[in-house]
Amino acid sequence: MDFEEYEDKDGVRFSWNVFPSTRIEANRSVVPIGAMFTPLHERPDLPILDYEPVACKPPCSAILNPFCTVDIRSNSWTCPFCLNRNPLPPQYKNFTPAALPLEVAPQNTSVEYLLSRPVSTPPIFFFIVDTCQPADTLMALKQSIIVSLNLLPENALVGLMTFGTMCHLYELGYSVCKKSYVFRGNKDYTVKQVQDILGLMAPTLRGTGAPRPQQISASAMRFVQPLQNCEFQLINILEELQPDSWPVKGDHRALRCTGVAMNVAISFMETSFQDCPGHILLFAGGPATQGPGQVVGPELREPIRSHHDIDRGNAKHYKKACKFYEGLARRSALAGHAVDIFAGCYDQIGMAEMKYLASSTGGCLVLTDSFSSSLFKQSFLRLFDKDPNGDLNMAFLANMEVITSKDIKIQGILGNVFSLNKKTAQVSESEVGIGGTRAWRMCGITPTMTYATFFEVVSQSAGQSGNAPPNALIQYITTYIHSSGQFRLRVTTLARAMSPGGDPSIALSFDQEAAATLLARLAVFKAETDDHNDVLRWVDRMLIRVCQKYADYRKDDVASFSLSPGFRLFPQFIYHLRRSQFLQVFNNSPDETAFYRHVLYREDVGNSLIMIQPTLTCFSTDKPPMPVLLDTVSIKPDVILLLDTFFHILIFHGELIAQWRKAGYQDQEEYEYLRELLQAPRVEAAELLVNRFPLPRFVVTDAGGSQARFLLSKLNPSTSEESNNRFGSTMGTSTYVHTDDVSLQTFMSHLEKLAVSGSS
Amino acid sequence: EARVPSAGMPVPLQPQAYPQQPNMYPAVDNNIPSQVQPGPPVPKIPLTPQMPQMPGQPAMDPNQGYQNSAYHGYNSQPAAAYNHLQNVDLLDKTSKVDPYDITKPPPPIILPPDTKVIESAEFANASPDYIRSTLNVAPSNPSLLKRSKLPFALIIRPFTHLHDEDERIPLVSDGVVARCRRCRTYINPFVTFIDNGSRYRCAMCHLANDVPQGLDFDTIKNVSANRYDRAELNYGVVDFLASPEYMARPPMPVVYAFVIDVSFPAVESGMVAAVAHIIRENLDRIPNRDGRTRVAFLCVDSNLHYFKLPSDSPITDSDQGDAEELSSDQLEMFVVGDTDDVFVPSADGLLVTLKDHRQAIDNLLSNLGNMFQNPKEMKNTMGLGIKAAHNLIHSVGGKITCFMASRPDTGVGALPKRDEQSLLNTPREGTLLQSNNKFYRTMAMECAKDQVSVDMFLFSGDYQDVASLSDLPRFTAGQTYFYPSWKSTRHEDSMKLGYELSKYLGTEIGFETVMRVRATSGVQANVFYGNFFNRSSDLMALPALPRDQSYMVEVKIDDTIGRKTMAFQVAILGTSCFGERRIRTITLCMPISSKASDLFASADPVACAAYFSHKACEKALYGNIDDGRQYLLKSLTEMLQVYKKEVSASNVGMGNPLHISANLRILPALILALQKHPALRKGTKIRSDIRSHAIALLTTLPPPYLMQYIYPELYGLHDMPDDAGLPDGETGQIVLPPRLNLSGQSLVAHGLYLLYNGETFLLYVCRGAISMLLEHTFGVSTIEEVPAGKATLLRIENGLNPRIHAIMDKLRDRPGSITYPNLYIVPETSEPSLRQWFASMLVEDQMDNYSKSYVQFLNGIRSNISS
Ligand SMILES: [Zn+2]
Ligand SMILES: [Zn+2]
Repeated sequence: MDFEEYEDKDGVRFSWNVFPSTRIEANRSVVPIGAMFTPLHERPDLPILDYEPVACKPPCSAILNPFCTVDIRSNSWTCPFCLNRNPLPPQYKNFTPAALPLEVAPQNTSVEYLLSRPVSTPPIFFFIVDTCQPADTLMALKQSIIVSLNLLPENALVGLMTFGTMCHLYELGYSVCKKSYVFRGNKDYTVKQVQDILGLMAPTLRGTGAPRPQQISASAMRFVQPLQNCEFQLINILEELQPDSWPVKGDHRALRCTGVAMNVAISFMETSFQDCPGHILLFAGGPATQGPGQVVGPELREPIRSHHDIDRGNAKHYKKACKFYEGLARRSALAGHAVDIFAGCYDQIGMAEMKYLASSTGGCLVLTDSFSSSLFKQSFLRLFDKDPNGDLNMAFLANMEVITSKDIKIQGILGNVFSLNKKTAQVSESEVGIGGTRAWRMCGITPTMTYATFFEVVSQSAGQSGNAPPNALIQYITTYIHSSGQFRLRVTTLARAMSPGGDPSIALSFDQEAAATLLARLAVFKAETDDHNDVLRWVDRMLIRVCQKYADYRKDDVASFSLSPGFRLFPQFIYHLRRSQFLQVFNNSPDETAFYRHVLYREDVGNSLIMIQPTLTCFSTDKPPMPVLLDTVSIKPDVILLLDTFFHILIFHGELIAQWRKAGYQDQEEYEYLRELLQAPRVEAAELLVNRFPLPRFVVTDAGGSQARFLLSKLNPSTSEESNNRFGSTMGTSTYVHTDDVSLQTFMSHLEKLAVSGSS
Repeated sequence: EARVPSAGMPVPLQPQAYPQQPNMYPAVDNNIPSQVQPGPPVPKIPLTPQMPQMPGQPAMDPNQGYQNSAYHGYNSQPAAAYNHLQNVDLLDKTSKVDPYDITKPPPPIILPPDTKVIESAEFANASPDYIRSTLNVAPSNPSLLKRSKLPFALIIRPFTHLHDEDERIPLVSDGVVARCRRCRTYINPFVTFIDNGSRYRCAMCHLANDVPQGLDFDTIKNVSANRYDRAELNYGVVDFLASPEYMARPPMPVVYAFVIDVSFPAVESGMVAAVAHIIRENLDRIPNRDGRTRVAFLCVDSNLHYFKLPSDSPITDSDQGDAEELSSDQLEMFVVGDTDDVFVPSADGLLVTLKDHRQAIDNLLSNLGNMFQNPKEMKNTMGLGIKAAHNLIHSVGGKITCFMASRPDTGVGALPKRDEQSLLNTPREGTLLQSNNKFYRTMAMECAKDQVSVDMFLFSGDYQDVASLSDLPRFTAGQTYFYPSWKSTRHEDSMKLGYELSKYLGTEIGFETVMRVRATSGVQANVFYGNFFNRSSDLMALPALPRDQSYMVEVKIDDTIGRKTMAFQVAILGTSCFGERRIRTITLCMPISSKASDLFASADPVACAAYFSHKACEKALYGNIDDGRQYLLKSLTEMLQVYKKEVSASNVGMGNPLHISANLRILPALILALQKHPALRKGTKIRSDIRSHAIALLTTLPPPYLMQYIYPELYGLHDMPDDAGLPDGETGQIVLPPRLNLSGQSLVAHGLYLLYNGETFLLYVCRGAISMLLEHTFGVSTIEEVPAGKATLLRIENGLNPRIHAIMDKLRDRPGSITYPNLYIVPETSEPSLRQWFASMLVEDQMDNYSKSYVQFLNGIRSNISS
């Protein structure tokens, strides 16, 4: 089976598909053992089981799967994770060895159970609208939201809050007139205060035993109403919404209380709708300038923080704001609600500080210049895409558990998840990302959201000689609320062989694409806390060690260096990763960085690779469209290039093409081919957009055009190489490869030199 | 044991004859003069050349005057004389309380010749309607005053009517405002022109001031004018249109912030809907001549509810329906739930002009009754509501009108329930009359500073802590209106509120006002009483100037006065509800004497009673209630003692008389009535809310209403003279039946009586009332069928019932008050509490063990004096 087949079947891609059998060997294999796992991976032939799963006794709790030994006669099964024997429920008596239950059939490594557990409420969509923006963009935003209401299920619960100088929570259940509860923009309300003001009861103590649908208090339902009941009222309020009426002093930013709004919204939601499916959607037209969570002062003379300010500790609100939003994020995650943040602003809105809200809850971040841009409109509406059954293409309140067999332990997850702090013996002490637990929560999740999970081999010695090491077993159990309003449980159980170090099967099992994306997440994770250069050094060291270990070469003979196909692309992925916006942050704002990194944490291997190493397609008159090197050599006067960086799609007309187009040849009958040529990349681009979220920025430019710089910045500067002298000084001892505008060729040759020299 | 009037009492068979007028008093109508006169003609103001009124010329026709003729016939008294002292023995067998004494004018002020700049100016002294001095002859030195034990105070009533047009005060509108350079007294009828009329001597400090040119020149007509025509030299009460120098800022608009309790008790009682309805119906009555009037609405339960009122959308011809619908949709409610601090939830639309936001205001008020049905909010954070209203209007100033049907029990200003029962009739009962939360006092200071005045309309049947709540009106020149246990379903309650609130809204109140009292050198206005904020030692600040209150100033004499007269001038500078700055001056000049007998002979019992009422209330408020009662007894005793020793000693007659000068003979009865008034009465039955409200009235009511409130009017209806209850042939005014003493002895067993204290009517039906009387009054034949308690008297087409209605309407018609008294029918057969209430008003009788009859009271004093 190749890696894509694994992915198609189980939504998983491991860096290594054969694990080294001991801890020491695993450490020597350089690239950590990890899997890019897509819990709700869509697969048309996924077995759906209309009954409750059979689980091993706690604390193991693994679910019956193809790797279990089922003893039909004694009506029992043996758990491969804990080796305990469990009885089968009475209804399993009817099974015979020839007709086993579906979940134990060898091919059914992924199955989905439809649970009978009732869901307390339909999904809640709680809109939070920034009114500190010009009338035209506010109008556009209002219209987008109104359009989005048509995309929601009729029974969906909706709520509305607006904020500016103050924060208004609308009582949608009130029919006499517009009515909103107002919170002052500069006050840090406690949950208790919010409850008192809104007349909410604190959540009652839930009874033990089976979870029951929560009783939603009538006081809470004043603010959140079924769409079908309040649509008229809600649309009316939205239509009449005016820009914040408070005067803005000269040389000042508008007073905007984003932090208060989020605090009140989350306090309300956690009080009233604990464990109910829901999204809190924030639409911010600018930065918070007052109150808790303030990211910049109201005076314009105080610029909003940059990466440099943050690095040097000059961002006076940054740490405090991060802490504030982190706290909110934690509360929202515990309550089960995803927070989505949409920015419509040429400047920053404080996404860098607020990112936790989305990352801890599985919400999304969408960065656009304006709410009147089609980028915003389309991205926003895409959130409500439907599946073939007409249900929203999103799921709610997912809790994912990872269970491992005794030879391995789970180290953690890199992705937009929240730890549920469930620590068992199979949880590694050596944490990667969000670790120390085997269970995580994703309040919001879609079928494509992918999580990097990391494993540690814990066996001290390869099994007894003669015995083949046992397989490593990993089970992912994900319960979630399907948008059709049903609790479901997805189980994916995976077995991977373990081999002694040096076994060639290990190197052959290397998935360089998965490895690159896993490394990218690791690097980004480190970059969040570590010094920029340290991260690059760490990446370089990893790459050099991979080359030293897996390349063929003779010591100190650069010419002898060669990598097997399974590793060959890896250095170039890393080269591009080093140059990418994920690690080279100084050309971007902190908000952009937060946004890019957040998206990287959502996407699967394929999309992540596009982000790391953009694709470049060449359209020319004589050849069919074909991928070309991401290199300046690909720029030719008579071709059109299509660059996809995931975040941007750029069509570049070569010099001649541009001239022809400007001369209007494409409109002449005899030059129809030119018209087709000009059209082809647009068609291709449109296809790229189909499933992408958020939508990429779309740019069309000509050679020499102002936006062409963007293409050049992504290309390997092979033809504009300046000099090799620049990094002569780092030769020899340093493992740090200088890549500022260094071509891939230079990078590679330097890498080869370092690899064969044996330094590490 | 209560002495409830009952059959078997000795009773006169005939209705009492009209009382004999004492010799020296001219006949007066037995009503308050201002009520009697059918809109007196306006003096021809501003100055017109047609009315030459040079000194020495005959006085103008008294009927032309704006003041009641009854008051100034005395000016024809011989010059430089004092009122004649006449002794009466209060305990003489033939002496009894004469209720008509109460409505008599005060002893006249007899000025020495050449006191007035225009000798013939009949209205040089302000009418007693505006100012009453306890003494109409001033003591020449402080020791005389002290020795006399007489109070020296001025009772000031800046306005006598709710509307300007009913009052007709001359207006000096040409901007000539002459004032003394030294003491800043405004020019008045008591100045003296010197140096050939080029300068004048100030009546207060005698400084020679230049006569301003404008006094002799009509700047409007551009012709020379006669200074003696000028109103300020002819009239004791004059308004000046103030020039810009009297403005710290442009005159503020009329501002009303309505703060409405919408907690469950308020909604359930129907108060919210009723108040909204009444305000809506009366929006056009709110003074708004200049179109600047602004309003705000705030509703309060455990949260604050603000309303954003969009401006009227122009209704287009093409699409009228839509335009209306749109505007109504835009009304927006903001709920603010911070319980510790207030903030304004919207940059605009909360305080709006009445003129341009009418649709939204109408829409809000039409819906207000339905807006707070759910959920049931039991809490009330009115303190915060008032703070929020203040915050909303503080940059402009104005009136906060607060409607509350429950006790504020959460947030700032929360008032914990006090254990009333355990304190009643104990020395600590007085604490119930004191504020229970500093917030209200502090808030009052804030409001006063920002020209904000607060009125309280209170509706609760449960303990509401009127004492604490009334602090706000007290220190911001507001008023506390109390409707205990009000219910909209009770017709009488709705009616009363509707009538009073509509009058309230229509009243032409003033704003940002200061009042100062200046006096002859060596005399000081010392201590002020009433509802206002005491900004400095001699300055009363009135954020809003009500038209139905009066104030008291205690006068202090520093030294022997070396002149023949003593003058006072009250100057009231404020903004009218029409956006003008105006100054009203009220000038009073009186002779001086060094003899106590002259002081006694000219003392005004009504002003004195008002004085003692203020002082006793103050003692009850800041000490305890018994202090108030003791103070009254002590003051009267001392006064009578002094009178006996120093005034009447020379002509002691037989026996052991209790003498007082004839003009003061009603005073002991008033003092006794005060002691028995619900504000001060000893006993366990009076809830502190009732007491607090009574104190609020005692300390604010203008003298005529105060007297009614202290010593109610009692009329027999079953045997009225033929003309009573019918219009007088000449005046067209309804003739009232004779007034009876407040004693069971006034009652007959078959009688029907109307008792009226200005706040309430009690219609008392004696057990022996014959069925025809009942038929003709109530339309029923037996007393058991007569509705008891708060009720409406049916209208029946027969002789007696319409006459009773006419009498009640006549009594209700008080142009200087918004009060609409409710009627309580009290059949003698009804429940004890109702009968005891009526009995408690018969103040000349002994009601229970704590109280004394009038005669017992006087005997007690006599024995104290003799011992
Ligand atoms: Zn197990
Ligand atoms: Zn003077």
